[in-house]
Amino acid sequence: MIVEETLVNELKQLETQAKAFEVLVNTYKERLYWHIRRIVLNHDDTDDVLQNTFIKVYKNIDNFNGESKLYSWMYRIATNEALTFLKKKSKKLKISDAELQDKMIDNLQADVYFEGDEIQLKLQKAVATLPEKQKLIFNMKYFEEMKYEEISDILDTTVGGLKASYHLAVKKVESFLKEY
Amino acid sequence: MNKNKNTFKTPEGYFEKFSDTLLDKISDLKSDQEETILPKEDGFSIPDGYFGSLHANIKNRLDEEPSKVIALHGRPKFYYYAAAAVAAIVFLTIGIRTAINETPTFESLAKIEIEDYFESNDLGLSTYEIAEVIPVDDLEISDIVDNLLEYENIIDYLDDSIENFEELNLTDYEY
Repeated sequence: MIVEETLVNELKQLETQAKAFEVLVNTYKERLYWHIRRIVLNHDDTDDVLQNTFIKVYKNIDNFNGESKLYSWMYRIATNEALTFLKKKSKKLKISDAELQDKMIDNLQADVYFEGDEIQLKLQKAVATLPEKQKLIFNMKYFEEMKYEEISDILDTTVGGLKASYHLAVKKVESFLKEY
Repeated sequence: MNKNKNTFKTPEGYFEKFSDTLLDKISDLKSDQEETILPKEDGFSIPDGYFGSLHANIKNRLDEEPSKVIALHGRPKFYYYAAAAVAAIVFLTIGIRTAINETPTFESLAKIEIEDYFESNDLGLSTYEIAEVIPVDDLEISDIVDNLLEYENIIDYLDDSIENFEELNLTDYEY
């Protein structure tokens, strides 16, 4: 278990930076990968966003003031990067955000890195119908099994608000699965 | 013997925390039930060895990008003063020339900047918002309609559609 404060200090020192960055990448790569993957769905896009996230962390570590936990700060960067990536993509393709979501789901069926069955594909379709923030909360709570306090720190939302949003999201996903 | 005297105790803050504890238990209970309806796995997979090579890939990208460190202290201050002096002279010369050749107005500058901004950004404006921004006087019918109607077509249309064409009181010049 690495001590976060030590890691941050090492990242800020030129002589220890390279080694500390390797530790940082190896510690958080999987958690951040899956967080991003559930937003952008496709492996290649996730890889791009994940690399950009770590590069941003590396370049901006001097601005990290320690007010929140390092992983919360990284999650925030990853979330912003992933959402910005999707916005740029829809703009480039000249389609709406909702149309892009439909397109992403359609592409999943031919994706070699999606091994889900019919019900898992249906689940992704259901999640895609949720508003952006509810989608994030659902993924973080349901798949990533994060605590409300952790999600609250990352999304800057109260625990009560998160509980209500998650409850609503689950209801919507359930009714979608029952309906289709 | 006092029957009302309560000899039992509760942990400190028990009742204050009770509703939160209960809500969490209900939430956990719901989560357990959800597993029967929602699949726990999402079906995503990754290429073999992806995580193993990730750090090296990021490092390569960082090496390719120009360094963020700029050595400020290594250069003599003389160059900074010289650069500042040159910049000031160039700035003043251009400023004076511009002032002599052409007097920029706020309207002309603002228009160019606004047009550039509109061209380079997809603002997603509604028709109402566009109408607010662009004055009607500046619009020509050709800005909106691709195929302009010929004058004769309009007269023919009116002739066919109106019972008594004469009632329109068009002058000779108008038709």
